[in-house]
This record gives sequence, structure tokens and C-alpha cells, in this order.
Amino acid sequence: MRFDHTTALTWGVALLGTRTYLAIDASSVTAAEIAESVKGQRLRTLAHEPLPQGAVMPGPAGPNFAAADAVRAAVARVLGDVSRARITLVLPDGVARIALVEPPRGVLARDYLRYRLAASLPWPAAEGVFDALDAGSGRVVGAAVRRATVAEYEEVASASGANVEQVHLAPLLGLAGLLRRRHTDEVHALLGDVAMCLAFVREGGILALRSRRRDRSQGEASRLRAELVRLASQVANGNGSVPLAVSGSDAPGLRPDLEGAAPTATAPFPTLASGAGEASWLLGLVT
Amino acid sequence: MTRQPDFSSAPRTSRVSLFQSLSLAACALAAIAAAFLAYQARGEAQAATRRLAEVSREVDAARGRVQAFETHARAAWAGMLAPEEAPPSRIVAEVASLLPDDVRLERIAIDYRRGGVLELVVVARDARAWDRLLQQLEAAQRIRELEPGPEARAAEVRSLVRARWAAGP
Repeated sequence: MRFDHTTALTWGVALLGTRTYLAIDASSVTAAEIAESVKGQRLRTLAHEPLPQGAVMPGPAGPNFAAADAVRAAVARVLGDVSRARITLVLPDGVARIALVEPPRGVLARDYLRYRLAASLPWPAAEGVFDALDAGSGRVVGAAVRRATVAEYEEVASASGANVEQVHLAPLLGLAGLLRRRHTDEVHALLGDVAMCLAFVREGGILALRSRRRDRSQGEASRLRAELVRLASQVANGNGSVPLAVSGSDAPGLRPDLEGAAPTATAPFPTLASGAGEASWLLGLVT
Repeated sequence: MTRQPDFSSAPRTSRVSLFQSLSLAACALAAIAAAFLAYQARGEAQAATRRLAEVSREVDAARGRVQAFETHARAAWAGMLAPEEAPPSRIVAEVASLLPDDVRLERIAIDYRRGGVLELVVVARDARAWDRLLQQLEAAQRIRELEPGPEARAAEVRSLVRARWAAGP
């Protein structure tokens, strides 16, 4: 291959703009090496490792790791396939309290979040880490997660050789992807292993947001569909033609039931052809 | 609110990527280089301004000299006698017609640049012939500013006569 200055610059930018996202959820550990460039983000490498059942129990309070050694081993294995230089640790659905809020003008979003969420947190607000994602029209998707919980995940990742630069949340990554797509009215369910987010999205803005733990028992698809339709009707003034979309953990298994029971069509949603199945945070990064 | 949310349990010292650091360093270098070049250009501009002032002064001086030359030339041109107005043949013929019989014209010089100054080297047989020559020349319409040269009246008079030719119709 001819190696000139242009080639060197291209490779240099490609290498320097690479970031690895390391996600730990109840069922698996996933590492995705993402190339960041001016054209957007592109998936370079994906590594996926299933976890023993019960090894990780994502929750807002208390220990999340029942079998930390197994998780560390899985993390070490997936990190063997990707770059360890710049790692963003992705915490799973269910560890954070998430809310859509509209901070008054001149008030810092973090401060307003702390004020709004403090009363509903299962731990003292002083123990929390607060941050927010711009949701358009002056609104933000705020999240609060207990510092000790974050530290627990960070320790597992660091012990496995990860150089963690920042910590993100799986639902916020998924929502950021929906905001970038700038579609007209859609209702999305972003599924994690133990919790999920429901969002009504309109042209790059989030108009409504709910998050709750999942009930994966029989009939989840019909319950999910009913909840999505209810959310769409509330926000869209009874307009029942809003497309519904489901992505994330077990989404491929839920979609046929949603389509079969629904008069409305499910919105087309890109899927990743890999052994990792679907991860809504990953779709949010690369779509 | 940060652009990229971060829920780390403790703040980290640096989350700036190498690419961002290199970009920042490149921007800083470019800014320094631009400032240096601007400073250099400012110095060059000042030098050029000084040089321009010098050249302007030289041009003014040269223009003054040219004007002086032109004035001088105009003045000089004003005092000149044009050969077309008084051809040498005409002057010689007219001067010759003024010579008495016993006076011989040995040489004649006509200086047109000085307004038609004539220098006549004449030889008269004696003093009386010399006097007649001077009378003839003084009486001539086109001879002005007559200046007889030194003379020895004992015998043959050989002398230089200066005069100015008066041009006209």
C-alpha cells in the first residue's frame, strides 16, 4: 500500500478517535470499539461475553455484583479483543433514577436535577452523581446514580485492566441515538436486561419519558405494547398512528408479538448482525 | 450540563483525548505562528513606510531639480537665436557687405545658443579703415552690442570685434 501523508493522517485520526464502550448488564458483558470521526461513529470491534445467571443484579442501591470474580473474568476476556486505552464504562438500565425535566432559565441542570430527584431517591442525595442529556426544547433527561454503585462497577472494570475515562448510562446512550435520528413522532422502548425506558420522540426532542423495571413474565409483549400506545395517546392527543419501536435486550423476541397484536406498525429499527443480539445503547452510538 | 454526561464516582484529572490535545496544540502553534508573522509583517510595513518616505523625499528633491532645469532651459531657450531665422550664409553675406574695401574678414564665429553672438576677426589696412568699419557696423540695423577689440593704430589693425545679431524681418 502506498503510504503518504494523507494515508498517515487518515489512519492517525482513525486511531486517535477510537473509544471503547464497556457495558455490564445482568446477562452479559459487551465491549464495543467505536471509531469517532467527523462523519459520525462507526463500530470497529464488538466483543460479547455471557455472564452466569445472577452474577450481576443491576439495582439503584446495595451491591450489584453477586459473583464479582466471574464478571471480572468476562470483562478481561472482552477487553482482550478491543483497545483498552480510552474506555467509557456503560452502566446498565436499572441502576439510575431517570427523569425528563425542564430546568428554569439560568439554573444549572445538575443542581435542578438534584433538587427535583432528591426526594424520590432510595439513598441520600449527597451520595449521588447527577448529570443530564440535552433533550431539546429546553428539557434535559436527568439521571442520578449512587456513587457507591458507580464505584462498584468501576472497580470491577479497573481490576480487569480497563482504563476507565468516563462513566455513562445505557439508557442515556440509547436516548442520545434517538435524538440524533430526528424522526417525526415515534414511541420507543429501550430495553435493558432488568429495566427499560419508554420515550416519545419528535424531531430530535423527547416529549415524554418513563423508566421502570421490566416484568419479563409471560405476556410482556402485550403489556409493553399497551404501555407504548398509552404513552403515544397521551402525548399525541389520541393519535393512534404513531409508530412503535422496541430495541435492546430480548427485543427481537418481543417484536413479532408486538406486531401481531398491534394495529399500528412497528417502526423500522436497525439491528446489529452479531452474536450480541441487540443493545439499545450500542444502537444509539452507531445509528 | 455537560455535552457528554459523565457519572464517574470521582473526578478524573484529564479526559481530553490525545486527538483533542494534539488539535489544541496545533491551534496554539498556528496562533503563535500567525502572531509572529503578523509582528514580522508589522516591522516590514514600518520599514517600507520609512523607505517610502525617503523615496518621496528623493522624488520631491528630484522634481525640484527638474523644475530648476526646466526653468533654466526655458530661459536658455528664450535667449537662443534660431538658425532658421538667421542662416549663417545670410549673416556672412550681410557682414561682408558692411566691410569697407580696405578691411578683410579673416574669421567669423556665430554662437546661436547665446542669442547670435558674433565674433569677427578683421584686418584693416590702417586706423582710418578700422574706424570706417566700426562706423559701418554701428550703423547696421542687425548689429547690436558692438564691442571693438584692442587695436594698434600705428599701422595695420588686426582685432576682434564682438557683436550680437538682431533677428527680425
